[in-house]
Amino acid sequence: MANNNINPSDLDTDFKLDLSKNTCPTREDRANGINVFFGKASELLEEGKKGSLKCTDRDFQQSGGCLLNFYLSVRVASIRDAAVIFNGPVGCSTTALGYNEYFRLVPQELGRPEDFELHWLTTNLSEDDVVFGAKDTLAEAIREAQERYNPKAIFILTTCVTGIIGEDIEGTVNELQPEIDATIVPIHCEAVRSRIIQTGYDAFWHAVLKYLVKEPEKKQEDLVNIASMLSYTWQDRLEVIRLLGELGLRANFIPEFCTVEELEQLGEAAVTAPICPTFTDYLSKGLEQEFGVPYFLYPSPVGITNTDAWLRQIAKFTGKEKECEELIAREHKKWVPKLKELQKGFQDLSVKDGKLNVLGSLGQGRLVTQLPYFDELGIKATSAMAQDFDNLLLNELQDVIDTVGDFDIMVNTFQSAEQVHITKHTNPDVALTCPLQGGAWKLKTSSIARLHAVRGDPTVASAQCGYSGSIAYGNLLLQTLKNKSFQRIMTEENGIVYQDWYLEQDDPLYFVEKGK
Amino acid sequence: MSNDKAQCKSQTNNESRVVEAPRYGCSLSGVYEATVGLKKAVPILHSGSGCGMSQIHGTGMAGGFNSTGDYGSTNVPCSSLVEEHVIFGGEDKLRKLVDSSIQMFNSDLFVVISGCVPSLIGDDVDAVVGEFRDKVPLIHVNAPGFSGNSFHGYELFFEALADQLLTPKRKRKKLVNIFGIVPFQHLFWKGELKTIKQILKDIGVEANVIFTEFDTLETLEKIPAAAYNLVLSPWVGHRAAKKLEEKFGTPFVSFPGPPVGPIQTTKFLRKVADLLDLPTKKVEDYIFKQERESYDLLEFGADAIIVYDPNSYFAVAADTNTAINITKYLTDEISALPEVIIITDDPPVEFRDQIVKEFESKEINFSPEIIFEKDTYKIQKHLENRSFSTLFASSIESAFANKLNKLHLTVTFPSYNRLVLGDNYVGYFGGTHFIENAKSIKLGPL
Repeated sequence: MANNNINPSDLDTDFKLDLSKNTCPTREDRANGINVFFGKASELLEEGKKGSLKCTDRDFQQSGGCLLNFYLSVRVASIRDAAVIFNGPVGCSTTALGYNEYFRLVPQELGRPEDFELHWLTTNLSEDDVVFGAKDTLAEAIREAQERYNPKAIFILTTCVTGIIGEDIEGTVNELQPEIDATIVPIHCEAVRSRIIQTGYDAFWHAVLKYLVKEPEKKQEDLVNIASMLSYTWQDRLEVIRLLGELGLRANFIPEFCTVEELEQLGEAAVTAPICPTFTDYLSKGLEQEFGVPYFLYPSPVGITNTDAWLRQIAKFTGKEKECEELIAREHKKWVPKLKELQKGFQDLSVKDGKLNVLGSLGQGRLVTQLPYFDELGIKATSAMAQDFDNLLLNELQDVIDTVGDFDIMVNTFQSAEQVHITKHTNPDVALTCPLQGGAWKLKTSSIARLHAVRGDPTVASAQCGYSGSIAYGNLLLQTLKNKSFQRIMTEENGIVYQDWYLEQDDPLYFVEKGK
Repeated sequence: MSNDKAQCKSQTNNESRVVEAPRYGCSLSGVYEATVGLKKAVPILHSGSGCGMSQIHGTGMAGGFNSTGDYGSTNVPCSSLVEEHVIFGGEDKLRKLVDSSIQMFNSDLFVVISGCVPSLIGDDVDAVVGEFRDKVPLIHVNAPGFSGNSFHGYELFFEALADQLLTPKRKRKKLVNIFGIVPFQHLFWKGELKTIKQILKDIGVEANVIFTEFDTLETLEKIPAAAYNLVLSPWVGHRAAKKLEEKFGTPFVSFPGPPVGPIQTTKFLRKVADLLDLPTKKVEDYIFKQERESYDLLEFGADAIIVYDPNSYFAVAADTNTAINITKYLTDEISALPEVIIITDDPPVEFRDQIVKEFESKEINFSPEIIFEKDTYKIQKHLENRSFSTLFASSIESAFANKLNKLHLTVTFPSYNRLVLGDNYVGYFGGTHFIENAKSIKLGPL
C-alpha cells in the first residue's frame, strides 16, 4: 500500500532488487509514486524531493487501467515464441484479442518476420475455481500450452481473483516445471496490488530477471538493450536500428515482438538505453545489479538535441565516441534544415501571443524528454499532464524546468474528466492525447494530436523517435493545426458529457480528498 | 467432401475450460456493453481499476474498431479497488463514487456493475445502491467476471432492469421490443437495429430496439408496454425475454437471427404480421415491392456470382446469429455450398439442437458439418484440410485464412480489420450488400 511518509534517502539510489522474492515492491513503496497532483512543476519537484507527495484518493475516479491491463497484457502476449496464460476470469484477457493481427500490419519488407504465431490462453476461472481453488486449472493450462505450442517460455499473468483467493502460483510452477520444457514465468500483476499501474512494468521485469535472463556466456559489446514499448512505432524501431547500425551497434528490442532468446541475452549487452525511463527503470537497475550491464535513463531519443545526447550516452558505453560525433554531424546536415522548416511552419501559424501552445498528455518519462523537444520546435507547453510521478526522475524534472521554465502540471492516469477540465481551462492550440477517451476528445477551439500509436504502426508519418521521428512528429503536429473540423463538429453536434459546473469551477481535482 | 448425407455434428467442449482467445469478454463486459449501448446511461464499475480500460481493446476495438462513446473507455467511473479495500471493504469508496458520478453526469440511468473484487470481499453493494434510489434512476447488476461471459452479462442487465427499474404498463398492440443483439459483441448491432426498426416501421409496427435509441429512460420504461418481445437469436436474449414474460406477461417469439436477404426478411415480416394481426394487403404489398427491387438489384451481380468461384464451398466461424443468417442466405439464395460451420459464442447445451436445425435447407441434399467450439486453436484445426474457398469469420482468422490460401471476410467479433459504424446485412438490401462485400474480396477474373 501507499507509504506516504517515506524518507527519500531510503529510495531510488539505495534501491536493491530482491530477486529471491516472488515479485517487485510497488511503485508507492519503492519510489513514493503518485498519480494525483495539480500545480506548478516546481512545487511537484520540491515535494518530490522532500518525499511529501501523497497518493490521495479520488471520490470521483475513472477506470485508468490496472497493472495487467495497462498494456502489460498485450506486450507480453506479443513475445513471439512464448505462450501466455491469463490466470483469471475470461474478461481479463480480452485486451490481447487483437495482438496477433496488429503486427501483421507491418509489411515484411520493413522487417516483420514472415511467420509468427502469438498464442495466449485464459484459465477462464469460474465460480468453482473461486470456491475450491484454481490450482488444477492453472496446471491444465500450463500443460496445454506446452503441448499445443511448444513455446520457449510460458508467462503466467495473475489477476485480482487469483490474488484475493490466495492462489499459490509459485507452488504450482515449481511442481510443474520439471515436466515442462518451456521456462514458466509467473508475473504478479494483480490489479489490487497497487494504485500505480506502472508497478505492472516492474512486476514484468522482475519476472524476466528472475526466471529468464541467463548468466552471460560472453559479452556482446555491440548489443544495446532497448525496452521499446510499441506506443512508439515500427518506424521508430527502424530509426533506432539505422542509427545504431551507423555506429556498428545492434539493438536488442524487448519485450514487444521479441523472442525469448532476446530476453535471455539481456545480461550480455553493453548498455541498457531508455526509450521510456519509467518503463525501463526496474530492468535497467536489475541488469546492472545482477550482470553489471550499465544503463542510463535520460534522455530518450525524442527531438534532435535529445537524440544527440542519447547517442552520445550509448557511444560512451560502447567506445564509439568518435563515430558518434561523425554520425551526429551527418545527421544534422540532413535533418536540421527540416527542423528549421518546421519551426517556420509553426511560426506562420502562430496568431496568438507568440508561440503556439501545446498541452502534453504524457507519461513522466515522455514529459521530461518531450518538453525540451517542443521547445526545439518553437512551440511551448505551458501545461502538461503526466500519468504518474515518482522520485525516479527528480533530477530530470529539474533539468526540464531549467530548460523550458516552470509550467503547470497535472498528474493522473487516464482520468478523463480532469483531462477535459485542464484542456478547457488552458485552451491549447493542440492537445496531445492517447486514443482512449471513448469519443472524439471534443474541444471547440483546440486541435488534437494522438501521441501514442498502439499498434505496430508502420507508416512513416507516425514516427516519433530519433532524427526522422522528430521531423515526422513535428509534421503531424503541424498537420493537426491545419484543420479542426472533426473536433469542432463533434463538439457542436454531440456535446461534452461532463456537467458545466465541474468544467467551469477552477479545481480539476475537485473530487480529490484534500489534506490527507 | 464426406458430407453427402445429413450429418450435423454437434461437438461440445465442456471437458476443458482452458481456452485460447475466446471471442467474448466476461459478465462485467456484457453489462458494460449493454449500458454504453444505450444512449444515455453511465456504467459505474465497482471493480479493479482495469475493468473499464480493458473494454477499449476488448469491446470497442474488437467490436469493429469502435470507440465506446461518452460513457465508455476512460470516461467510465470506477471504484478502482486496491488492497486496503480488500481488507476493509469497498462500500465507502463506492458510495462516494456513485454520489460524485451523479454530480458529474447529467444522465438518464446509472448502472452500478459489480465485478470480481466486491463479490470476493463481500461488499453489500445493494445496500449502498439503495441509498441513491430516490435520487436518480439507478440499478445494480452483480456481474463478477467469473460468473460467465458477455452474453451472460447481457441477460443479467435485463434481469436487473426488470427487477429494479421497470414497472407494468398498459400493453400497446403494435409495439414490440427487440432482443438478442448484444452491443459490440454482435458486430453490426447499430446498423442491424436501425434496419430492423425501419422495416418494421414500414409495415406499421413500432419497434423499441432499446440500444441506439435516443431518450434512454423513456425507451427503457416502455419495454413492459410491448405486445411482444421479438428475440432475434436462437439463444441470446431468451433469459431476458423469459424474465419479462414472468414479470410483465409479455409473450416472446424467437427468430434464428436478424434476417438477411429477401427470403429471411419476408419470413420475419409475415410472422410479425401474423402475431400482431396486421392488415395482410399492406404487408404483402410492401413485401412484393421490396422483393422485386432487391432481386432486380441482385441480378447486376450475376456475372460476379456465376462466373468467378461459382457454387463454391464456404466455411463460417462466427457467433450463432451471424453463422445462421449468412449460411442460410448464401445457401438458399446464392447457390453456395456450406462445408463447415463453427459456432464460436458457446451457446448453452440446451439450445444446441435447435441451433443445428436452423441450418437445414431445402436447396441442398447434404448438411454442413456443424461444430460448437470457442477455442481459437481448435477452431483453426477444424478449418485445416478443407476445400472451401471463402471463410466468413472474425478478424482473428484473417492471417490463418491467408496461410491456407482461402478468401476471408470479417463478419463477426472481434473485428480489428474492419471499421463498422452503420454497416450491416439485415433486411431486403442486406443480402445484396453482403454479396457486394463477399464478392469484392476478390473480383474476377472472368
